[in-house]
Amino acid sequence: MSVESIIKDENAVEDLRGRFLTFFIGETYYGIELLNIIEIISVQPITYVPGLPIYFKGIINLRGKVVPIIDVRLKFCKPERAYDEKTCIIVVMIQDMQVGLIVDSVAEVISIEDAQKSDPPELGGNGERYLSSIAKVDDKIILNISCEKFFQSDFRTY
Amino acid sequence: MPIDPSMVPMLETFIYESTTLLEQLDEILLESEKSKSFSEDYINEVFRIMHTIKGSSAMMEFTNISALAHSVEDVFFILRENPGRLASVNEALFDVVFRASDFLKMGIESVQNTGEANEDPQEMIQELERLASIMRGEAAPAAAAAPAPAAASSSAPVADPAFAGLQQIKIYFEDGCQMENIRAFMLLTQLKDICDELESIPAHPENDASLCSEIIQNGFTVCVKPATTLEDVIQVIESAVSIKTYEVLKAEEAPAEPAPQPAQDAPAASAPAPQPAKPAASAPAAGAGAKAKQSLVSVNQAKVDQLMDLMGELVTTESMVVSSPDLKGLQLDNFSKSARELRKLTDELQDVVMSIRMVPLSGLFQRMNRIVRDMSKSLKKEVDLVTEGGDTEVDKTINEAIGDPFMHMVRNAMDHAIESPEERLAAGKPARGKITLSAQNIGGEIVMKIADDGRGLDIDTIMRKARNNGMLTKPESEYTNKEIFNFIMLPGFSTNKEVTEYSGRGVGMDVVRQNIEKVGGTLSIDSKPGQGTVFTIKIPLTLAIADGMEIAVGDSIYTLPITSIRQSLKIYDDQQIIYDTDGTEMVMLYGECFPLIRLHELFHIDTPITDLHDGIVVQIESADKVACLFADELLGEQQVVVKPFPSFLNKYEIKRLGLSGCTILGDGSISLILDANSLLNM
Repeated sequence: MSVESIIKDENAVEDLRGRFLTFFIGETYYGIELLNIIEIISVQPITYVPGLPIYFKGIINLRGKVVPIIDVRLKFCKPERAYDEKTCIIVVMIQDMQVGLIVDSVAEVISIEDAQKSDPPELGGNGERYLSSIAKVDDKIILNISCEKFFQSDFRTY
Repeated sequence: MPIDPSMVPMLETFIYESTTLLEQLDEILLESEKSKSFSEDYINEVFRIMHTIKGSSAMMEFTNISALAHSVEDVFFILRENPGRLASVNEALFDVVFRASDFLKMGIESVQNTGEANEDPQEMIQELERLASIMRGEAAPAAAAAPAPAAASSSAPVADPAFAGLQQIKIYFEDGCQMENIRAFMLLTQLKDICDELESIPAHPENDASLCSEIIQNGFTVCVKPATTLEDVIQVIESAVSIKTYEVLKAEEAPAEPAPQPAQDAPAASAPAPQPAKPAASAPAAGAGAKAKQSLVSVNQAKVDQLMDLMGELVTTESMVVSSPDLKGLQLDNFSKSARELRKLTDELQDVVMSIRMVPLSGLFQRMNRIVRDMSKSLKKEVDLVTEGGDTEVDKTINEAIGDPFMHMVRNAMDHAIESPEERLAAGKPARGKITLSAQNIGGEIVMKIADDGRGLDIDTIMRKARNNGMLTKPESEYTNKEIFNFIMLPGFSTNKEVTEYSGRGVGMDVVRQNIEKVGGTLSIDSKPGQGTVFTIKIPLTLAIADGMEIAVGDSIYTLPITSIRQSLKIYDDQQIIYDTDGTEMVMLYGECFPLIRLHELFHIDTPITDLHDGIVVQIESADKVACLFADELLGEQQVVVKPFPSFLNKYEIKRLGLSGCTILGDGSISLILDANSLLNM
């Protein structure tokens, strides 16, 4: 790899840092750091796999790759909702594995400065466990999800 | 000593090459030990192997490996010049070379793991040097004698007494024909077939181009013991190209004319000195090796795997095109014809791709040979290892996966099953035990057997042990022998009372079974007291592409490998359904009862078809178990590419639910693959 392309790559990573994809679950704004995201696809037929926790909807065929799908609503213990044309699957990469997340709809990609973020409150409750920070951008409150925390319970503990 | 970073890419090649060579070496050693001698080809081959290892390890700066290889090479150098010297050291040589081979293997393994070679082989080198000097010690008088008569022969074309008893023919090549040494070598090769013994002066002319001038000046002398008559030999010489004159020398003939260059003769006769061997020792052996082996290309495994993946994609895409919904109801004669052609080609291509991954089992069997040899020495048991079907080919991943299980079972057989010679004689059996390894290709499966004629499994001991470990699940009297044997494959079961060097290190048959099951295989045991034990391993031929039957359960489509289907049937008669005391449903077929597994209940799938009359019953089998599956309907047969479940789902151990993986169907949807073996063992 040439020096230029390394610099370019680093710049690309640098460009993504601090940028978040925001999406809706119900009326709530959530954000995932763009660094983790591979792509966004529309909902497609999902193959049910027995023996998985309820929030796993099954697996899909993503251009020959088999990718497991998690319904974020169910993971957040919210009532299930029929999928419509706005429903999306956000494919994220975590520890070299791809996982699809079903969300109600995606909103936009925004930059969030460190100054706009604050640590999540130290409270009990389900939602808080998955958050990395809470940001306030243009009157919107965005709950940023930490992928590591979000998938923690699904990783194999050796 | 850490490895120079610039050497890292070479390391892989070095490890691969050396490992392959050492395996060859073992094979040769075992073969030779059996016949108690080394054939000329084998000596050359060992010499070449050691030479290559020496060279490459020296380049990689593994001095220990290189030093040891060098000593072995030295020993074989002496042997190569004088095969008769083997008699002076025989047994000891085999042992020390075996040890050296082990050391080298360990060395290469430790290079692989830690990047550093293992400890100092000084002791072994000394042993080798001692053997070398014994051989040389005998060699000394002859070697000393050789130059003397050579000097004497300076005056005449007289037969060299060093080769007494052989007919000697001196040959001069045409002036300016060039490459005299190679021509001489070619002549030797031609003569080899018709001579019982064949020597030459200078020896091994092909090794050293500088010998050309010597051959031009002094001629090239072949010393032969013709297999038939001398005339045949002369005929060959006459028919060879570029030969100017030849002359049959008479032993102890009086000097006739002065030789042109007396001084040159001495080095020629004493050519069996260490120095000419090194530069091109691999040349003759490489030529000899080429005859025996096919021409091979070593390929990075990742590339083969990728090829396999692409092949899978191709198969999927093909069925996607051919069964495209757009074509439904259309009459497309030409299309169907081309589609059939395409199918034929992809089938063929698939066979080829598969065959690339296939390796014969002979290598594995060979390693077992080695274990049996070592163990029979240390345990003082006499055992013959018989192998059958070593040319059976299996997928490389399978070959790797069954290596350890095989080793374990052979060790077990050696250690526990085969009795000592006295015990065997007392039991009226031949003193020599026998272990048979066999492999066979039966209907899409590889069936391998490891059989011994030892004492057999002790049913009482196993039963007692199972009882003590609380493994019994039903009254003792109800256990069949087969079920009792199966106990030894359960975790935490070992019948051995003492830990020995070879077995009983806490790794039992349960690990063996796990390893075999990992590649989709099954293991069963049969044993007769006093007559021996047979372990049977069945493994599906390939893992990646399978013929499957698609079955529908609710909205889901499952794929069942055709190999595990016995039959499918509709149930019309309610009397065929029997309920066990605990409510388990059973199906009565031809007077036999089989448990019924309702897939929709097992996988919690909603389906309108829950009445046995509406759906279909598929009878499946694996190993010796049979059961019936209940599904909605059969959809048809399709060739599928088995994909593993996403590693993200590892935590949930889906495989325990009777699923072995998933596959992408022609329409792009995913079907889960049922695993008969685990369904039957749930």
